[in-house]
Amino acid sequence: MNSESRYVAPVSARHQLNAKTPLRKHIRKYWQLYVMVAIPLAAFLIFKYVPMFGNILAFRKFRAGGSPFGTGWIGLKNFQRFLRDKAFWRAFRNTLITSSTNLAVNFPVPIIFALLLNELRSLKFKKLVQTVSYMPRFVSTIVMITMLNEILSPTSGILNLILKNSFGMKPIYFVNEPRFFRALYILTDMWQFTGWSAILYLAAITGINSELYESAMIDGANRWHQTLFITIPSIMSTIMVMFILSVGRLLSVGFEKILLLYSPENAIVSDVIDTFVYRYGIVNNNYSFATAVGLFGGVIGVILVSSANFISHKLTGDGLY
Amino acid sequence: MRDKSTGYRIFSVINVGFMLCVLFICLYPFIYMLAISLSSARAVINGWVSFVPVEFTLDSYKMIISHTQFRIGYTNTIIYTIGGTLIALTLMCLMAYPLSKTFLRGRGILMKLVIFSMFFAGGMIPNLMLVIWLKLNNTIWAMLLPFAISQFNLIILINFFRSLPDSIEEAAVIDGMGYFGILAKIVVPLSMPAIATIALYTAVFFWNDWFYSLIYMNSNERYSVMVYLRNIVSGQSMAGAAAGTGSSERTTVYATLRATSIILTSLPIIILYPFLQRFFVKGLTVGSVKG
Repeated sequence: MNSESRYVAPVSARHQLNAKTPLRKHIRKYWQLYVMVAIPLAAFLIFKYVPMFGNILAFRKFRAGGSPFGTGWIGLKNFQRFLRDKAFWRAFRNTLITSSTNLAVNFPVPIIFALLLNELRSLKFKKLVQTVSYMPRFVSTIVMITMLNEILSPTSGILNLILKNSFGMKPIYFVNEPRFFRALYILTDMWQFTGWSAILYLAAITGINSELYESAMIDGANRWHQTLFITIPSIMSTIMVMFILSVGRLLSVGFEKILLLYSPENAIVSDVIDTFVYRYGIVNNNYSFATAVGLFGGVIGVILVSSANFISHKLTGDGLY
Repeated sequence: MRDKSTGYRIFSVINVGFMLCVLFICLYPFIYMLAISLSSARAVINGWVSFVPVEFTLDSYKMIISHTQFRIGYTNTIIYTIGGTLIALTLMCLMAYPLSKTFLRGRGILMKLVIFSMFFAGGMIPNLMLVIWLKLNNTIWAMLLPFAISQFNLIILINFFRSLPDSIEEAAVIDGMGYFGILAKIVVPLSMPAIATIALYTAVFFWNDWFYSLIYMNSNERYSVMVYLRNIVSGQSMAGAAAGTGSSERTTVYATLRATSIILTSLPIIILYPFLQRFFVKGLTVGSVKG
């Protein structure tokens, strides 16, 4: 190290040189960096990539106590089984309906919320609303669902009490009735993530050049026109990226939340691919079969995100990767 | 640059009113839970509680705290949170620093591996199989290791490290300092904002987790406090791993206990939140640069 230090060139020049230095010299100089990356890389490969290859279990038989990759090939038997299973298609349909309705509602809401926040004149009040609105993001799903159960409880919940005292209505068991399930899913998502998702849009709005607004004012544009023709177009690329991300996640619904809201009574609408996998895999120890269902969902997820990215490239010339 | 028309003024008033509603909706569930937890069971059954405690009592707090399973769960959660966060930070710093060097050979492939794994992952079952295969299940390591490297946090960190000026490290290299020394003594102290942010994300993840604790652990001694909460909610014994227990009817007597557990398990987040919230946001803006 010391013998070389006399020849230290400016950083940028050195890095260009490095691209051409022979491997041996490069290693001698930077070996520490390679040692450094080795330990976390091992952990990364074990815990992210081994499970990825573990998906092979979908095509193999599982024997208790045996290899996690299974023993003996069974081909596409698992896939044939669940593709013929009505319960699977119900879960598949529920996944798509739940997440697409959720996307339709909860994708625009944070954008609108950010635009409205941006119109608040008092900076202190704006900061307060912002701070409070993203707090729910840090609450555990189980805490949120328990609170929901308390508020909606047919016996002691505040909502049913209000309905009873003001309208003389009979208690409604909201969390158990299939017809309320999707609304509850969407509203709890709104409660938990609106403030948080709005942060990125707000950051984008703050970054807009104020001269644009000033010249629009001179041209006689009111606030609404400014929002429509300056603010929204300026944050369009952020909106696009967020949209691709959301489309890519269409098949991964808020699984933990659904698991907590799930009951045999509302299963017709609440059973999704992940709860299906959970029931077959974790509860019934049907590992190989559940892996196949999970893999199917994962592959569709990848197809979704790549197509969304492809379309975004076509439309806007920019995408996620 | 403000619009001064009557229309805009009316809009502003409505907007402020709307934002007050937002504040109320975000905070009310916690106020309601706090009020229930401090009220008598009788008051809760009769529906007298909405904003403030009625027939104030600390009984339910005494009851929950005296519950062994709650104390074990709480201790476990604290251990998982602190241990998990420390391990995660160490591994992610060690990985992000070399990856922030564009001259590192193989960097491109490693970055592709990281990004690919964000879109396609082993599912729930292969992950469980791996944990069982490595004999980590029902040990503390099942919580500490698998979640250590989060791709999202890693990319935040890489981007932050890349934004540091090279000249500072350059001086250290001349002084003969190795890269481990540079990372520990120069890069990490300079990256505190980013590190604090991902530390918080990681800590929140571990604090809030109930699902992985439930499937990777199988004894009362190992469950986190969120599993305790889930079992109290479903009125279930600790053995139950049955699907979906969120919505069967429960007796109101336990409403005060449920509310108390909620307050106690969310307490650290509620107390620390006002102090830490500025870090939460920073990560999003630092990490929004492409990896």
